[in-house]
Amino acid sequence: MGSFTSTSTRFNTTNSFLLGLAICFATPLSVAQITPEEIIVETLSEIGENWFISKTRNGGYIFDASTGEMQGLLSLSRNTPAVTKWGPRREFYAAESYVARGVHGERTDLVSVYDYENLSPVAEIIIPNHMARLSVRNHLGLMNNGRLLALLNMNPGHSVSIVDVQDRLFIYEISTPGCAVIMPVADMDFLQVCGDGTLQLIQLDISGFEQNRVRSDIFFDVIDDAVFDRTARSAEGWLLITHAGRIFSVGTDDDEIQISEPWSIVPEGEENWRPGGLEFFSAHQETGLLYIAMHEGEVDTHHEPGTEIWVVDSKTKRRLQRIKVEVPIDSLMVTQEAKPKLIVGDHEGGTHIYNALTFAFERTIVTPSASMFEDF
Amino acid sequence: MNIDKILDRSYYWIDENAKRTSLAFARKLSRRHFLSRLGMMLAGAAAFPLLPVARSFAQSSVQEVGDPQSCEYWRYCAMSGTLCSCCGGTYTSCPPGSEPSPITWVGTCRNPVDGRDYLMSYNDCCGKAVCARCSCHNTEGDKPVYFNSNSNTVLWCFGTENTSYHCTVSLVLGTTDESN
Repeated sequence: MGSFTSTSTRFNTTNSFLLGLAICFATPLSVAQITPEEIIVETLSEIGENWFISKTRNGGYIFDASTGEMQGLLSLSRNTPAVTKWGPRREFYAAESYVARGVHGERTDLVSVYDYENLSPVAEIIIPNHMARLSVRNHLGLMNNGRLLALLNMNPGHSVSIVDVQDRLFIYEISTPGCAVIMPVADMDFLQVCGDGTLQLIQLDISGFEQNRVRSDIFFDVIDDAVFDRTARSAEGWLLITHAGRIFSVGTDDDEIQISEPWSIVPEGEENWRPGGLEFFSAHQETGLLYIAMHEGEVDTHHEPGTEIWVVDSKTKRRLQRIKVEVPIDSLMVTQEAKPKLIVGDHEGGTHIYNALTFAFERTIVTPSASMFEDF
Repeated sequence: MNIDKILDRSYYWIDENAKRTSLAFARKLSRRHFLSRLGMMLAGAAAFPLLPVARSFAQSSVQEVGDPQSCEYWRYCAMSGTLCSCCGGTYTSCPPGSEPSPITWVGTCRNPVDGRDYLMSYNDCCGKAVCARCSCHNTEGDKPVYFNSNSNTVLWCFGTENTSYHCTVSLVLGTTDESN
């Protein structure tokens, strides 16, 4: 046994020596054939069709809905209400709120400016620490002139901070008691929904200061059938939806607020179906198609996730499709391209893509749970 | 900067006036006079529960039924957040080291024990990381953010030193039949 071991060891030693010699000669040859790799950093390419931002507690994930591929990440504060953009300047704008020691210490609210190329912060504008720290798309609105950003505050009364994102300046805080939601109209105006059942129009001057304020007549009752604080932009203005599923089309003509007669998305006999979720309502402006997450439930179930998506033609006021979903959904958004995609976020954190015109399911994207989606 | 200055001056003015008034009273009033006024106040306080607005305080306690660590508990009908009763507090007390927000949203919940409707105040406890245990989201009577006194999605850590949300308690303010 001992002799065998000794022979075996000698044999192995010889073999190891020869193998080592071979490697010594062979290795330089193989290394010489490979160029050492160098690390590089990507920049964002030209924005493609149907790109969108999936806003999570972790930041804004940018995806191409056509391929499902992630393009990059916007790092945002956990309390960011929403993120928006202005294509001509190739910039994103996000309201953010930070506390110095994570959960205690000095609080700082700001509007951050991120560039398209690197998705990096390029400027920040300090604002009063009154930001409503809720993830709501219409708590942030860039005026249609692309320069003035309006941000909803709660302290706990409502007000709006106006920021000049071009000159990187905080302008001032407008008191708007009892009114929330920011819906930009005209060049430098915005509409708000108010608790007394009216709309409020704030018109800004070129510097961003309030120039005029108009209140509509009462057109809904917040106790009987409240208008949601989630709205959808349409070709003519904005669409409001109530807890019972009635739609109002609203807009302005200079300082006049225009409100259509309401119509219902819920056919007769199906009144137990209600809209609900988080950001559950979206409109494709060119076609006038509305996409709404719906569930069966009683009054006051307006945060229930949808078990179906209803597609309704706002021009004919007819329902075109009911899309049943496996996992109930909280949020959805339709992109504004000619061949749009419907982005759907379910209650378990899944993100799903549909063809928004044929309603065919296309793919599921693996990503952290999204509270809302923003079109790119 | 102007607003800060105006606020600073306002606080200074209030402090100064309060100090001056207190000193003026102290100089003018004798101790016996003070005690007689205090006696009147105590007598008035005894009659206070007779007033309709305060009758809810006449009831010594609310009869409870159910599990306060369950979202189904009757007090939580308009609750949104994490339950302080699962986080080292109770349905009326904040966990150690957290700070109760004095500003709240309200709801109306029916107590199954006596069948009465109670006006509830939902106070957030603040200044710590979110507890994230026993998440609860009920929307009875909940209204959108523009009607904020009845909106349960708002983070109600206002008027506190630190504005981070930790958990929520539910306090009975009175019964709705008493307020009619």
